[in-house]
Amino acid sequence: MTEHICQYSGDRQQAIVSYLYGDEGGFDAVERTAFAAHVATCEGCRAELAAFEEVRMSLGQWSPPRLRSDDSPSFGAAGSIPSVRETRRRADGAKAASARSWRDIPAWAQVAAAMLCLGVGAGIANLNVRYDANGLQVRTGWSTAVSVPVAQVSQSVAAASQDAAPWRAELTALEQRLRTDLRQTPAGAGNLVNAATAANPANAPNTVNSETLRRVRALIDESERRQQTELALRLGEAVREANAQRQADLVRIDRNIGAMQNNTGREMLRQRNEMLNYVSIRTAAQRP
Amino acid sequence: MTSTDEELVARSIGGDADSFNQLILRWERPIYALAYRTIGREEDARDVCQETFLRAFRALPGFRGQAKFSSWLYRIALNLCRDWIRRERRTGFVQPPEDVDLIDFIAAAEPSESIEDLVARKDQMRAVERAMALLPEDQRTAIVLKEYHGLTFQEIADLLGCPLSTVKTRLYQGLSVLRRELAKTAETL
Repeated sequence: MTEHICQYSGDRQQAIVSYLYGDEGGFDAVERTAFAAHVATCEGCRAELAAFEEVRMSLGQWSPPRLRSDDSPSFGAAGSIPSVRETRRRADGAKAASARSWRDIPAWAQVAAAMLCLGVGAGIANLNVRYDANGLQVRTGWSTAVSVPVAQVSQSVAAASQDAAPWRAELTALEQRLRTDLRQTPAGAGNLVNAATAANPANAPNTVNSETLRRVRALIDESERRQQTELALRLGEAVREANAQRQADLVRIDRNIGAMQNNTGREMLRQRNEMLNYVSIRTAAQRP
Repeated sequence: MTSTDEELVARSIGGDADSFNQLILRWERPIYALAYRTIGREEDARDVCQETFLRAFRALPGFRGQAKFSSWLYRIALNLCRDWIRRERRTGFVQPPEDVDLIDFIAAAEPSESIEDLVARKDQMRAVERAMALLPEDQRTAIVLKEYHGLTFQEIADLLGCPLSTVKTRLYQGLSVLRRELAKTAETL
């Protein structure tokens, strides 16, 4: 193999650098054209230019660590301390600043603010929630009453709280007593509405005691209230449990992903080191 | 509309600190990058960056606009880097640690970058860093100013106070050393 000797007549190093960077400084168009013609025929210069291009590409990989915003110096009117951070914040826009200040508010204060907004909203809307013998009524200042039949609510409440009701025995006893009373009525009606009709003293003063009817109604009302309370408590508990479970799941998922990432990175490094060791051993073994 | 450096400088000289802060926002990253690539230490590069702007702020009334503001800043930063290197009595570069911090490693990944690509990129970066550390200070400075800051040969010559041909020679010699060192690294991988 013969070594190629460069025949360029000028300062080769200066020409290569100027040609490489395309910088006009100290390298006019005539010189450039002459050197370009030389490069076309000179293998050595072509190889060196190509190698320098590769070096430049490698240099492009090197970036400094990120500069933290806290590191910025800052100057005020007196040459002392106000902040470039303020300027930066202004540059970032009021939106970002507002989001940041909102995040700075403690969670309890945010919850309190949310409750206040809810209360004010309900007040403005004239929200009126009522539950009575006519059923559940939800009403705002601009809407008519929406009524949910008592029977429907009772069914859902009863379904939700079939077990462990302390008032169940009391209610059963009352039912039995009521059935006994109803059996004594001339109509022999089996439902509560007929019983109430039959209990009217004006129609049948001797059949059902009005006092019993009043007590039945009171007990039913009481029962409805208890069921409603219990349902609300259970719903609240279920929501709390679901939230807690969700949080726990998220934490577990996050932890697992972190562990997987660490394991993957560690494994990659281990394999790479093994490969390097293997290559060095093979290289050393092949050397005479 | 964005103000030019010269307008911001004029307002800063008139006592408008906000204008100088705008100049900092505009130039802190290039100055920090210059300091980091010259002295090779993150924390010290930050200090140099801060000191550069402090000195510039103090010297601003004496700035007459003979040179571009950026060139003036570069000159201050390079002088500080030189002082730092002399004071520390070392080459200016510290080798990066061998062990890899996995957290930094993962955090450095671009969104679409695989682990393999990331490892390769990090290796390449460290190879360049090591090769740059081997360069004499004058060659390294010339390469940093040309490659990363896009200064012309003439601007570098003015900044470093040397002839234009010297700048080219330093670049050629620096690139030759880098070529050799990077080739060595590639052989070991």
